[in-house]
Amino acid sequence: MAATTTETAQRWVGRSVKRVEDPRLLTGRGTYVDDLHLANLHQAAILRSPHAHARIRGIDASKAEALPGVVGVVRGKQVAELSEAFPLGVAAPVRYYSCAVGKVLFVGEPVAVVVAKDRYTAEDACDLIEVDYEPLPCVLDPEKAVEDPTAPILHENVGSNVANHRVLHYGDTDKAWAEADLIVKTGRLVFPKYGSTPVEGYAAAAQWDPLNQAYTIWSNFHGPFIMHPVMCRALGVTEDRLRFIVPPDIGGGFGIKSSVYPYMTLMAICARVTGLPVKWIEDRREHLVASSSGTDRVSYLEAAVKKDGTILGVRMKIYDNCGGYIRTPEPACLYRATGNYSGAYLFQNLKMDQYAVMTNKSLTGPNRGYGCQQLYFGLERLVDQVAYDLGMDVAEVRLKNLIPAGAFPYTTPSGGIYDSGDYSKSVRLALDMAKYDELRKRQTAARASGKLYGIGVATAVDPSVTNMAYITVAWTPEERARKGYLPKAGSSETGSVRIDPSGKAFCMVNTTPEGQGHETAVSQIVADELGMAIGDVHVITEFDTFTRTWSITSGSYSSRFASVGASAVATAARRVKEKVLKIAAPMLEVNPQDLDVRDSKVFVKGSPERSVPIRRIAGQAHWSATLLPEGLEPGLQATCMFNFPNAKPPDEKDRVDSSQTYGFIAEVMGVEIDPATGEVRIDKYVTVHDVGTLINPMIVEGQVMGGALHGVAGALYEEMAYDESGQFLAASFMDYLCPTAMEAPPIEIGHVVSPSPFTVLGSKGCGESSTMTAPAVVANAIADALRPLNIAVRELPMTPNKVWKLLQEQKAKGVA
Amino acid sequence: MKLEGKYTFKAARQKVWDVLLDQKVLASCLPGCERLEEVAPDQFEARLKIGVASVKGTYDGKVRILEKHPISSYRMEVEGSGAPGFVKGEATISLEDKGDKTDILYSGEAQIGGLVASIGQRMLGGVTKLMVNQFFKAMEKKIQ
Repeated sequence: MAATTTETAQRWVGRSVKRVEDPRLLTGRGTYVDDLHLANLHQAAILRSPHAHARIRGIDASKAEALPGVVGVVRGKQVAELSEAFPLGVAAPVRYYSCAVGKVLFVGEPVAVVVAKDRYTAEDACDLIEVDYEPLPCVLDPEKAVEDPTAPILHENVGSNVANHRVLHYGDTDKAWAEADLIVKTGRLVFPKYGSTPVEGYAAAAQWDPLNQAYTIWSNFHGPFIMHPVMCRALGVTEDRLRFIVPPDIGGGFGIKSSVYPYMTLMAICARVTGLPVKWIEDRREHLVASSSGTDRVSYLEAAVKKDGTILGVRMKIYDNCGGYIRTPEPACLYRATGNYSGAYLFQNLKMDQYAVMTNKSLTGPNRGYGCQQLYFGLERLVDQVAYDLGMDVAEVRLKNLIPAGAFPYTTPSGGIYDSGDYSKSVRLALDMAKYDELRKRQTAARASGKLYGIGVATAVDPSVTNMAYITVAWTPEERARKGYLPKAGSSETGSVRIDPSGKAFCMVNTTPEGQGHETAVSQIVADELGMAIGDVHVITEFDTFTRTWSITSGSYSSRFASVGASAVATAARRVKEKVLKIAAPMLEVNPQDLDVRDSKVFVKGSPERSVPIRRIAGQAHWSATLLPEGLEPGLQATCMFNFPNAKPPDEKDRVDSSQTYGFIAEVMGVEIDPATGEVRIDKYVTVHDVGTLINPMIVEGQVMGGALHGVAGALYEEMAYDESGQFLAASFMDYLCPTAMEAPPIEIGHVVSPSPFTVLGSKGCGESSTMTAPAVVANAIADALRPLNIAVRELPMTPNKVWKLLQEQKAKGVA
Repeated sequence: MKLEGKYTFKAARQKVWDVLLDQKVLASCLPGCERLEEVAPDQFEARLKIGVASVKGTYDGKVRILEKHPISSYRMEVEGSGAPGFVKGEATISLEDKGDKTDILYSGEAQIGGLVASIGQRMLGGVTKLMVNQFFKAMEKKIQ
């Protein structure tokens, strides 16, 4: 039930409070980058490569420059003069700039930028630029790019297409293999390249101040603010000469917008070259062709198992496709899940042989679920294969291998510290909600009548709030031990709360929301802590690196709001409350510990009629500061920069607690396949989540549904497809099939609540949620449907034409 | 993209051959052709205005006729580029007697890049077929 904004009698946290940002967003009153107006603002349009791989022999922009209204054309040459190649997370000497320099490595790569009085003129001028390309052969498959000696090399100075390669060994897989009754293999698995489709694309406006040699950039960048120092290095300025301003509203992000920073850099250079403020608003086609996406991944998995279904160890070989240039924070897709590589399972022996590869596809970066959908697609297909090979039920084999409820906090072989959970309970709840036994009976009946019906089960440990240390697992322990190396470790966030002279609260948290409802959740948390109505708590979301208290891990990524953001703002509110009680104590002639807050009043515990309004306390703090009790500063404010003690650097064995809280997901899905068309219909979809304390159950369920549909999209519809010559084939919603309400299956959501001992409220992140399980559960369900026909499912998306082709091939063999 | 097809002309092989390689006829029959100039023997420069799906644009390109085996076959190389993208392709065209008619068989491969490829992919096959047919129909009118 939705609550009104004036009640205060009960706790706000845990209630489905209506989102306070919605009236603004739903009536078109949001403030986005494109709403920004600056005097003499000019517009940019970007000319992009039509080739997957080509040398640029020359650029003739004379006609474009002569077009009335055009004030400048920026080419790669100027970009290389005015900026350095971006710093990378790997040792490979890849030179990645915000615009192609000498060579293009993927379709859509920026080649030149036109700055003009308006976008029409800029676009028209782009058409007038003549670029002389010398096309080169391309490579698109990440395994081929590494293993095929005839594959073209993208970066001659790197000498191969490998951006990063590491073999991580935890426990002893040789021993596990020797003790195993059986070795189970998945064969070659292919996970597809897909992204997100935020309503608002990338946007950046930049201004250059020649007197101070400083840049100001407005953008819908949502963090991590690690990109601020990264951009400073590229632009050759110190941090005090680069100001980021994020407007109050961002129209969706899903991780994708953390990779807007090359365009922020490009616009900064355009502003500098033209001496004018320059704005660029990405269009949908640009977004699909060249913004960012998750990686496509080729992987081979093997498990050593006992006859009873116990998994002793797992080995994975992975080729992760990062596109033309390894763009920071990649190869993080390979390492984000370091602490939870082993998922929900108890096995102690694990070997990861992993490559981050460069091919002639667009660049990758964080995409909701980052690294986990790829990981769990492989791992959950492997667990299914264990069940198939042993003749066990897929749910039974999972229950057998889950980490038991009493084991938390549980340290994984790769160093993750799973804070809390009850995995068996969650899986059993999912099976019960899906009526699993009944579903199996229905399947038997359906099969008897010639139908293709499959049931899938999948689990995932859902990591949130990453410890930036994980990215350094890309370096060897020896490289991390070198002299002068500064270890990376931390996952902090800042929360600030102040009470104004009227007794109302203002809060700031640096989680740059893109629509997740952080304003609502912060209002709930602070209203509880300060005994106020949520209507009296105002949350400021706009962000400015010059005026906020922040640190480089700030931002909205890795589902970090409900864990670190909520902890920071709750702690700040507690500090303010402490001060409120100290000021009230002499007024009520008691000790501060005898006081509490409710209904915007401070009252004496046990005799609530003795009270003083918070407004009065605030009045004293602001209007009568000199008369405050001794030792108290004027005003009523506190800031907390919250960090986790477990966020340590990787140890010498590459173990790292890569995230600070770990939720859990258990899913059951039933699908029916139409043998005539190959279309997959989701008949049943149950998803059970453990996100610790639920701050706002309605918002959590919204995140779960969105995440589930995003994952289903990757499993059945969306694909950033390329033809064999590297041409991009999905640059509009006609070809990039973003599911709509029509494709959304009914989703039944269940919750198990295991509060995190590591966060202030016990809450964990939930923003990525089923994006990491849905591809696995869809694949497992389809595989189950097709097993009687001896068809294996090794790739996604399982589009109707792919399913139909598999069915026809088997028919030709006389199986179906 | 693979291209393959057949078109039957109601004319003798020699006549079809002559018309097929006549620059003026070519210029008037190529869909959207704004200019076609012979810059060297069997080498032409052309400007075509073509629309595929919502992507309309002007392409400047070169056409080369190679491996001419009069009245039986030749190979054609086409290369063009414009704001909406680029085309690169080659095709073998052969002529066969069919009584008093002539069959033209063509097969080739085209590489299409840029905007046309990325948003017009689904349309390409259909549009290409349509344009080839337009070309041969226009040709047929010239022959008769």
